[in-house]
Amino acid sequence: MSGFDFDVIERSLPYLFREGMTFTLTLTALAMTGGIVFGTLLAMMRLAAFKPLSMLAGAYVNLMRSIPLVLVIFWFFFLVPYIGAWVLREPNPIKVGTFWSALITFTMFEAAYYCEIMRAGIQSIARGQVWSGYALGLNYWQTMGKIVLPQAFRNMLPVLLTQTIILFQDTSLVYVISATDFLGAASKIANRDYRLVEMYSFVAIVYFVMSYGLSTLVRRLQQRIAIIR
Amino acid sequence: MISMNNVSKWYGSFQVLTDCSTEVAKGEVVVVCGPSGSGKSTLIKCVNALEPFQKGSITVEGISVGDPKTNLPKLRSRIGMVFQNFELFPHMTVTENLTLGQVKVLGRSIGEATEKGLKLLERVGLLAHKDKYPGQLSGGQQQRVAIARALSMDPIAMLFDEPTSALDPEMINEVLDVMVELAKEGMTMMVVTHEMGFARKVAHRVIFMDAGRIVEDAKKEEFFGTPRSERAQQFLSKILHH
Repeated sequence: MSGFDFDVIERSLPYLFREGMTFTLTLTALAMTGGIVFGTLLAMMRLAAFKPLSMLAGAYVNLMRSIPLVLVIFWFFFLVPYIGAWVLREPNPIKVGTFWSALITFTMFEAAYYCEIMRAGIQSIARGQVWSGYALGLNYWQTMGKIVLPQAFRNMLPVLLTQTIILFQDTSLVYVISATDFLGAASKIANRDYRLVEMYSFVAIVYFVMSYGLSTLVRRLQQRIAIIR
Repeated sequence: MISMNNVSKWYGSFQVLTDCSTEVAKGEVVVVCGPSGSGKSTLIKCVNALEPFQKGSITVEGISVGDPKTNLPKLRSRIGMVFQNFELFPHMTVTENLTLGQVKVLGRSIGEATEKGLKLLERVGLLAHKDKYPGQLSGGQQQRVAIARALSMDPIAMLFDEPTSALDPEMINEVLDVMVELAKEGMTMMVVTHEMGFARKVAHRVIFMDAGRIVEDAKKEEFFGTPRSERAQQFLSKILHH
């Protein structure tokens, strides 16, 4: 380990965090928000009495959960420009950019997982709560929005956050489309300065500290929710 | 006011209701009783379409419940319902429970809804608990809040689905007292219950159900005096002499 160069880490800290980690955290936060919203809609579709709707949502979820994430990232990255061109009736593939491409991918992909969590959450709410909302004269959307989803969301919060920690780690895969996320930034410096051991070790430690810290918080939250209930 | 005509309902191939017909007039208190699994809870839930039925018809003030064109939320908002397990919204305070329907369905202002809600809360003797969450109240208190919540919508009729079955014995009376008072004020009520004391005190009619059928539909005096069906006689002797 005599050749371990701490200096390269220190020198690259501003770049790693200001560029890389900002990208990673922005992507995580936006994909989480989008994924939970879209996933909740999917969960409501899956639980709908109207069969074609629940089958459509079910097919989507199963498809997303059966394809490796890397493949979905590639697939979207190369396909979205063409789909965009087709939708906007442009003759040439539109420029989407790595960030937007990654955001769309992760939102769509994670929605499948958030969907299953929210589905379990919605099903955990007793039938009587729905009846009670309907009996007051609330419609489906009001009953969902005011009664079922707030409770489902609260019950599922620890699981949703755990899934978000997985998402946070998974965003490192955008490095395959040359995005400058935290890993991507480190990788660029590692290759430029030929300091692969240093950079990849540092990246691993940072991911570990952040993920472990977050999951500790989630555990505490889980205990608090258990007490409230 | 509520009129049922040959209502039948199936869960898959299992028939839970068979040709149920009855009428509830304005201001009338009708008690529905019968052994568990006889379909009485299902029947009462058909009245505000919480349970769909496949045959027959139900009308509430002339509006057909089973008609797909009927505005169900509007119809339901006019019929109060109280459930066995209270079903207050656990993530809302008592006051929020009382105002939600008024604001969202009836379009009342928060101030107006709160005033109305608190007045009803005072009536059921729970004004001091207005800022608590349902989980902090006893079962009897929760059920009284649930009754107040149903009343906050100014219903034309009230449905009670075994309102005291989930309560500890010492809390049953505090809920029944509220219901008796309501009956005396002339509220139209349909009550699924095993509380025969309540039936004797305020019911006008008693409906006895068994295996998805209305076996007996009689004036209170007749029902308790000389029930015609053997099944009702057995049920009464069991429930009154236990």
